[in-house]
Amino acid sequence: MNDVVNNSRGGTATVHAAGVEIKDLRKSYGSNEVLKGISLNVAPGEVVCLIGPSGSGKSTLLRCVNLLEQPNQGSIHVGGFEATDPDVDIDKMRRKVGMVFQQFNLFPHLDAKRNCSIAQTKVLKRSQAEADKVSMHNLERVGLGHLSDRFPDQLSGGQQQRVAIARALSMDPELMLFDEPTSALDPETVGDVLSVMRNLAKEGMTMLVVTHEMGFAREVADRVVFMDGGIVVEEGVAEQVISAPTQARTKEFLRRVLDPTHIDIEE
Amino acid sequence: MAMTARQRARVSLYVQAGIFVVAIAALILATDWETIGNSVFNFGKIGPMFPGIFVTGLVNTLIYTFLGFIVGLSGGLLLALMKLSSFPLYRWIATGYIEFFRGIPALLVFIAFGYGVPLAFGVSWNITVIVMISLGMVASAYIAETLRAGLQAVPKGQLEAARSLGMPQWRAMVTIVIPQAFKIVLPPLTNEVILLTKDSSLIYVLGLTASQYELTKFGRDGISSLGAGLTPLLVAGAFYLVITIPLSFLARKFESRTARSNR
Repeated sequence: MNDVVNNSRGGTATVHAAGVEIKDLRKSYGSNEVLKGISLNVAPGEVVCLIGPSGSGKSTLLRCVNLLEQPNQGSIHVGGFEATDPDVDIDKMRRKVGMVFQQFNLFPHLDAKRNCSIAQTKVLKRSQAEADKVSMHNLERVGLGHLSDRFPDQLSGGQQQRVAIARALSMDPELMLFDEPTSALDPETVGDVLSVMRNLAKEGMTMLVVTHEMGFAREVADRVVFMDGGIVVEEGVAEQVISAPTQARTKEFLRRVLDPTHIDIEE
Repeated sequence: MAMTARQRARVSLYVQAGIFVVAIAALILATDWETIGNSVFNFGKIGPMFPGIFVTGLVNTLIYTFLGFIVGLSGGLLLALMKLSSFPLYRWIATGYIEFFRGIPALLVFIAFGYGVPLAFGVSWNITVIVMISLGMVASAYIAETLRAGLQAVPKGQLEAARSLGMPQWRAMVTIVIPQAFKIVLPPLTNEVILLTKDSSLIYVLGLTASQYELTKFGRDGISSLGAGLTPLLVAGAFYLVITIPLSFLARKFESRTARSNR
């Protein structure tokens, strides 16, 4: 899967990009069904944004892709792996899938560089010197090479999230999952994180992003998927879904997100 | 004449001080100073305790406590992980063990391992091994609960982040979760060591030879041989404080460090 990706974002890069195929995925917590049969394909090198109200199941869907949540039914293929096969080597599959969390989840007892290198040495069995080199490369990639010896509590939220991205990139993933990466950030640091993600998209990384940043979705995503109540309500080219949605629920959601001060008298 | 709040506070303070002085005076008057001088503070006759209490008693107490702690820490970690396991049998075993050993007096455990187990299995263990096992088994029950709380205090996202990077469960626990849990439990763990130091005094029931004496046994031995009454026990007690006060100082230091930073 060593594709030369020539994508719509104007960048050309050689990356190992994996695709994702999700078929009729269902997931329940007790009697509460949060995913009611989701089918979604992401091509290698494609950037797909998942949008929708909270509780719509978009984060659960994302977490199913690297099996942080165990789906009840349906199938997920990631790269050469069938995630839903009971015999799949989960750890081997997860090496190919980078995950970025809303709450960063950096390891507080390790500095930025060790955060990036720990899994390289323990999982990929790279030497410490090689792992440090890769870590520094990726920290520089997110603009934080000069802060590599800082501990997480010495970094701002935006810096922590960029370290978290560098940490995921250090494993040479073929797919990156972002779970509301900017939702826990101070407004002034959101831009730095989004611009790191924009560059990543230009380099041809396959990205599946749960986000409320409509500007980012419109500009960077190839496709936008609107979810509500555990189903895909509408999907299509980013510009079209955001600017000219066809479904009523999509229109309603976008109106609220794009104009949060709008007061609906009837409610 | 009404008093201001300030005057009332001052009068209250005087009354409290007065009660305290009267209580002390009554205690001094009621004390039989001659007997106390002969049988509790008779420091003239305790010379023969030295340097033995130092080179044997103190050193053995430290060794027994250390060995007990090592066994207790390993056993406690194993029990804590079992208690958090998704496999019910492990949880039941760990819960049963913890409840049992926390519920019976440590003294009974020493007697069981000192006399019961050798009789039942026809083995004759070295006294150090008996102490190590019995003290360690009691300690592991308490330490397990402390460690379990520490492991649960590490945010769930830490394990998720580690697993997402391709670490197997055991590797994520060893590299990411357990080191953070230990930092959280360092203050309560230090307190466990203090309790353990004092529990090691129960070894006297095992019938030790002179070179195996720890502080309490040393003190009890002095009572019968020195004719200084209870004074030797007072000396032994002072040596315990030599160990425990620095430890509680250390625990407080860890506590303030944890409060300052979560590293």
